[in-house]
Amino acid sequence: MSCIRHSILAFLLAVTAAAAPLPEQFNERLKSVVAVEFFIQAETERQPVTVLGTVIDDAGTVILPGAAIMPNVAPAQLRDFKVYRPGSSESSVAVYLGQDAFTGWHFVRLEEKGRAGLVPVTHWRAAQADPALSDELWGIGLRNKDEDFQPYFLSSRVAMMMKLPQKTVVLGTDVAGPGLPVFNTAGEFAGLAQPSFGQNFLMFSRNQRGNPVVLVNVEESSVVLLASEVLPYLGRVPKSVTGRPIAWFGAYGLQPMDPEVAKLLKLGNQSGVVVSDIMKSSPADESGLQERDIVLAIDGQPLPRLKPDRVVVSYFGQEILRRQPGDTVNLSVLRGTTRVELKLKLGDEPKLVREADRHYFEKLGFTVREFLYNDSILHRTSPGTTEGVMVHFVKPGSAVATAGLRPDDWVREIDGAPIKAYVQALEKLSTIEADKTRAEFVLLVSRAGETQVLRVKLN
Amino acid sequence: MSRGFNRLLDAVVRIDVREIEFNDGAKRITGGVGSGVIISNDGLVLTNAHVVSPQAVEISVTLASLERVNAKLVGWDHWTDLALLRIDLDALKRRKLSFATADFGDSDDLFVGQTVFAVGTPHGLTRTVTRGIISNNNRYFEDSRGVNGYETGAFNTWLQTDAAINPGNSGGPLVTEDGKVVGINSRGYVGADNLGFAIPAKVARTVAATLVKAGAVTRSYGGIGFRELQDLESFYALSANTGVLVANVDVGSPAAKAGLRAGDVVLTLNGRKVDGRFPEQLPPIQQSIASLPVGSALKVGVKRGDQVVELLAVTEKLESRVGEEWAFEKWGLTVRKVSRAYARENQLPETTGVVVLGVQPGYPAAEAGLARGDIITKVGSKTIAELAQFKTLYEAYEAAPEAQLVEAQRNRRISLYVIKP
Repeated sequence: MSCIRHSILAFLLAVTAAAAPLPEQFNERLKSVVAVEFFIQAETERQPVTVLGTVIDDAGTVILPGAAIMPNVAPAQLRDFKVYRPGSSESSVAVYLGQDAFTGWHFVRLEEKGRAGLVPVTHWRAAQADPALSDELWGIGLRNKDEDFQPYFLSSRVAMMMKLPQKTVVLGTDVAGPGLPVFNTAGEFAGLAQPSFGQNFLMFSRNQRGNPVVLVNVEESSVVLLASEVLPYLGRVPKSVTGRPIAWFGAYGLQPMDPEVAKLLKLGNQSGVVVSDIMKSSPADESGLQERDIVLAIDGQPLPRLKPDRVVVSYFGQEILRRQPGDTVNLSVLRGTTRVELKLKLGDEPKLVREADRHYFEKLGFTVREFLYNDSILHRTSPGTTEGVMVHFVKPGSAVATAGLRPDDWVREIDGAPIKAYVQALEKLSTIEADKTRAEFVLLVSRAGETQVLRVKLN
Repeated sequence: MSRGFNRLLDAVVRIDVREIEFNDGAKRITGGVGSGVIISNDGLVLTNAHVVSPQAVEISVTLASLERVNAKLVGWDHWTDLALLRIDLDALKRRKLSFATADFGDSDDLFVGQTVFAVGTPHGLTRTVTRGIISNNNRYFEDSRGVNGYETGAFNTWLQTDAAINPGNSGGPLVTEDGKVVGINSRGYVGADNLGFAIPAKVARTVAATLVKAGAVTRSYGGIGFRELQDLESFYALSANTGVLVANVDVGSPAAKAGLRAGDVVLTLNGRKVDGRFPEQLPPIQQSIASLPVGSALKVGVKRGDQVVELLAVTEKLESRVGEEWAFEKWGLTVRKVSRAYARENQLPETTGVVVLGVQPGYPAAEAGLARGDIITKVGSKTIAELAQFKTLYEAYEAAPEAQLVEAQRNRRISLYVIKP
């Protein structure tokens, strides 16, 4: 008995002995880590953004967390990408490649001369097994720009494992900057730090006695997406800056099925998503899917019971996004009390806000963009109506702002003429803007189902 | 003070109300204080709709003699913020009590700057008189949820006064120096000084006459939201003093069915020219539609671009945005029927369902995950078109409690919940 124990101990010692000391590992693996700075150029503002990224290949490709850029920001607004090495004030130029719909990652690529000395994270041996409870992991944090992105060491132990729906571990304390790799003590790549979870605190002050607040650490994270969920997808570098192709299902407002509901419907441990809204002539509509259907399985694979309940919705969404437009999907659906099998051919995601044509009329003080399929969902009109244009931005204090125009207003008429197409709106507004003798113009806009006539006084 | 004024003082009453409220997942009784004025020898008391509502369970009136008697609600009209009560005359006779009645003055004769007095019970201070002037005798003030969540002010303009009007003044009279009632004090601007509003006596008299006969005012509904043209006449190439702008048309309303659209300019209604250049001109236009018998033909002369067309709508009965409310106490759930106006505001395709007003923590509805604002559309396999259906299903549950599948929507997202005994 004691002999066996002895031999296990010896084996463990051998493994540990093989790994380089942590400070040495830390210095080596710093080469896979960068800080990325860029600007979001809006109509009147230029907002600087700094995020952390991980180098994924020898071509100088870096992935950034999905949350780094708001979904409505057009790629053309993203300017001046610069990449900084930890501890350095020197930067190299990079270009934005786009966002992958499935992983959510944004991809940027360093110019060739800036790639020297970088080591892709794939260079480090990947952990062969998922980390176990209480295993120690470590990672890197970077200070802010004013401190030259000085790197620092973080480590913690695995506190719990979750499926969100990807395999994710939560550690006892923060283990790395969000977007940066995490390693085990053997120096193997264990996963990628995610944006951290909110934590509940009570705030005490002179005026407040224990008010609950949620705090989110934006510099460090204790949440790690495991290597087995990262490595297979590093190749999903967007083919175009739009991130297309993106598979499209066409049902909206998916809601998780409550375990109590599953029990009542005698579905046992089965999970599902309730379909709230189906867009006309979308793939979901054409397959015969109906509102109130409960999707129970996709391609014969039952939807798993995940915690918290709403994760099943992300699971289903990712099952769609990991596929390609044109792929066929089989759905098992509960309709009332009967089970229905549906075959569905995924479509192409309709144009997204970030891809929409838009134009800023500087003198008038607002930006219009084309009316999209997704706008018809929000405005509850039958999709495919391209009538009108959307107001994307209103400059504070401008003529249109004074007249009461607001972002997300839906412009239906300009000077009494119904707007049938985006180009028509552009022409009309350009003419108005160019005409220096113009004293006013009139917009008919819809806002939350109510229509208003706005009179814009110029000069 | 004049003899008339002293007599008026004897006609002003304090009103204490206890009413049912359905806000927090339970039926609760709340109390409130307001004012009123006795307008007839048979004991009719005029007050505000937001002082006494149909949910009142106990109405007590304090006479000028400081004697208290009970009263009953005779009629209610939130659109003009008026309620009519009747004092328990038998009790009065038994107790040998008497009261004075107030006389109406002509609110049309009021001029800006004229001295007026507000009489009432501000903050519970019985028999308070404040003095001011008529600041404006034709104020437009519409509020879609001004009377306890009900719409008000669409069909009348208001008298504005700087006589101090505070909470509790509501329902009391605005009177001239000779004690004639020219308005019913109704509201003040919160956070402002000396901006009080009263319903003109002319409106109050007409509404009171209808309420005493029918208990409610039936109005026609066209579904047109007007907005003042206010120097847009040149843009629409209109001759002077003509037309009112259509700001919105309610989905599915008579006007929508007739083909009226937002951005149209209405020139005539049933052949009569309309003039809606200024906001205070809008209530009379709405009133001209509302006063038609339900089911009337409404010919709308419309200017649309360069064309002038006549559209024909058939009016429907005007409904409030607040539907019937109810408490399902064992579930810790209070609901309100989805009304047509509510459905429209929330862009719901139909009036199916009930809105959750509140849930009580720890009770089955809250435990299931339902929350304020959810719209319950189905219980079990039954679609909830009417509140009565919900009540029946609930009664069945009370008789034999077992888990119920509930379908509810929030922002058009459908979720399923289980309510367990």
